[in-house]
Amino acid sequence: MKSLISALLIAGLLAGCADTATVASIEDRAVPSKDAAKPSATPSSTAATATDAAKPAGKPTSIVETRPMVDPETKVAGLGATRGMAIGPDGKPLAPPVLDPKNPASPLAQRVVRFDYDSAAIRDEYRALLEAHAQYLKQTKAAKTILQGHADERGSREYNLALGQRRAESVYKALGLLGVADAQMEAVSFGEEKPVAEGHDEEAWQQNRRTEIVYEGE
Amino acid sequence: MMHRLLLVVLLALASPLCMAAMTIEIVGGALNRIPVAILPFTLSAAGATDPAAVVSGDLGRSGYFRLVDAQGVVSPASPQGLSLPTWKSRGADAVLMGQALPAANGRIEVRFWLFDAVRQSQLAALSYTTTPAGLRGVAHRIADVVHEKLLGEPGSYSGRIAYILKRPGRYELQVADADSENAITVASSPEPLISPAWSPDGGKLAYVSFEDKKPVVYVQHLADGGRRAVARFRGSNSAPAWFPDGRRLAVTLSKDETSQIYFLNPDTGELTRFSRGGALDTEPVFSPDGRWMYFTSDRGGSPQIYRAELPGGQVSRVTFEGGYNVSPALSPDGNNLAFVHRRNGKFHIAVMDLATRQMQVLTETALDESPSFASNGRMILYATLVNGRGVLATVSVDGKVRQRLSQSGDLREPAWGP
Repeated sequence: MKSLISALLIAGLLAGCADTATVASIEDRAVPSKDAAKPSATPSSTAATATDAAKPAGKPTSIVETRPMVDPETKVAGLGATRGMAIGPDGKPLAPPVLDPKNPASPLAQRVVRFDYDSAAIRDEYRALLEAHAQYLKQTKAAKTILQGHADERGSREYNLALGQRRAESVYKALGLLGVADAQMEAVSFGEEKPVAEGHDEEAWQQNRRTEIVYEGE
Repeated sequence: MMHRLLLVVLLALASPLCMAAMTIEIVGGALNRIPVAILPFTLSAAGATDPAAVVSGDLGRSGYFRLVDAQGVVSPASPQGLSLPTWKSRGADAVLMGQALPAANGRIEVRFWLFDAVRQSQLAALSYTTTPAGLRGVAHRIADVVHEKLLGEPGSYSGRIAYILKRPGRYELQVADADSENAITVASSPEPLISPAWSPDGGKLAYVSFEDKKPVVYVQHLADGGRRAVARFRGSNSAPAWFPDGRRLAVTLSKDETSQIYFLNPDTGELTRFSRGGALDTEPVFSPDGRWMYFTSDRGGSPQIYRAELPGGQVSRVTFEGGYNVSPALSPDGNNLAFVHRRNGKFHIAVMDLATRQMQVLTETALDESPSFASNGRMILYATLVNGRGVLATVSVDGKVRQRLSQSGDLREPAWGP
C-alpha cells in the first residue's frame, strides 16, 4: 500500500516536472516553495515513517488494536499475504533488495540521475532508483545525502552552476515527496566542473548532465 | 637523504612554472597599422633589461601598430642626435627612443622620448624611477603612453589579469601582467576554482572554491594571501561581484530556493536578499556608477540578461536576440555590455551599445566564455576552447583586432583587473 502511495506521489511529481519544463520554455516558471512542495514532510507523517522503519517486518505499533482481514486459505497458501512477494522464474521467493549504499549489488549502488539539455525534469526511468534511496534514508535517519548537480560544458560556468543546482534540487524535491526529511539532504552544484565524460560532443554532454546521490562520509 | 628527496620533489613541482610563459598569436588586425620605430634603449644601469623589448611586444601584438625594423641600431646619446628624416625614409611615422640610467639606492631611472617623424615634432618626453623588478611595469606604461599619443585613446598594456590555470589534478588562481608575463599563483587547490572577481581597488580577489565539496565564496587579500570564506551557506554559493564602493558583494545563493542573488557585507556578514521567485538568477555585475545591476535570469523561459535599477528597483530585460545570452560584463564607462551569445549552437562573445541597444557578435570561435573589459574599455578579454584546451584571447570592441594568449596548460575564467 505504501509503495503504491509512493508510486502515485512520484508519478505526480514527474508529471509536475514535465509541466513545469513545458511552461518554462514559454513564460515565467513558477516553482513552488520547498515547503509547499512537500506535503509528506509534515511532522505526523515523518513520525509514522520512523515507526514503520523501526519495525520493518512487524505490525505497526499503535494503541489501537487491529485484526488482519486475510482469507485464512490464502494465508495458509503462503502467497505473501496482502503485499505480494517477489518471485524468481522458478516461482521461489526472491531475497528482498539489500538497502546498503556500500554494497555494489544493492539498488543504492545506482547513484546517477541524468537530464535532457537545459532541463531539470526527472525522467520516468529514475522512479525505482529514487524510491530505493528514499526508502533507505527513511529507514536510516542518521544517513545524510549530498545531491550533487552537474551540467555539460557549454555556455557560462556560473549559469551552468545554477543549472546543476536546479537539477540537484529536482532530486531533492523528488526525495522529499517520497518522505525524506529536509535535514537528511543538501542540494549542491558542481556546474560543469566535474565532467564524467571528457569529450566535447553530445555523447559526452548527455553523460555530464546529471545529479549524483552521494552519502555523507563517502 | 630525506632532504635531498624533498628537494627533488620541490624542483619537479616548480619546473612547470618555469615553462608557463605564454606565446601570443595575432588572429586578426586593424587594416591601417601605424608604423613605429622602437629604438633599443641606452642601458647604463646595472641589471637593466631593455624596456624596448617589452614595449615592442606590447605594441606589436596589439594589432594597431607595425614595427619598423630597428634591430642593431645604435641609439643616439640624446634626442638631439636623432635623425627623424632618416626614420621617415625607412617608413616610420613615429620613433621611440629611451635610456635606463642608474639612480640612487640601486634604482633605475627610465627616460623616453616619442617623436612624430612625419611632422618632425616631439609627442612625449617622460621619466620614471623604479626598482629593477619594476622595469617591466614601466615598459608597459610607456607602451600605454605611445598608444594614447598615436591613437588618441588610452592603452591597456599596464593592467593585470587574473585567471584559472588547470593542471592535472590541480587548479591555480593566477595573477599576471596584461601580457601574461610575471604570472604568480595566488591560490592553488585540488578542487575547482572559478569566477575570480577583482575588488575595485585591485587589492582583493573574490572567487568560488569547491574545496569543501561544494561551491563556497572566498575573499583573498593579494598583499598577504590571507583568505576567508565569506559565503558558505546551505546549498551552493557562487558568482561574487563587488559593488563599486568595494564594501559589499553580490553573490548567488541557493539557501532559500533555487539560485537567487543576495547582497553581502563580507566584514559584518550582513545579508539581504535581492531576487525572489522560482526563476534562476545569477551572474550579477554592477555598472561602474553603481546605478544598475546586470544579471542573468531564465525568468522569461531562456537565459537572458536583465538589469535592475538600484536600490532594489525595477527589473527590465536587456537582451532579446537569440535564446541564450549570459555572463554580462560592463565597460569601465558603463556604455558597453559584453556577454556570451549563442548563435547556431555556438557560443560567441558579443557586445551591445547600451544607448542604441545594437548588438554585434565579435568572435567566431564556438565555446567562448567569461568576457571582461580592459581598463581602457577598448579590449575584451575572454576564454575559448582550441583543440579541446582552454586559452585566453582578447578582441577589440569593434571586433577588428583579435589576439590569442596560449600557455602550456588549460586556462579559463579570465578577469581583467582595475
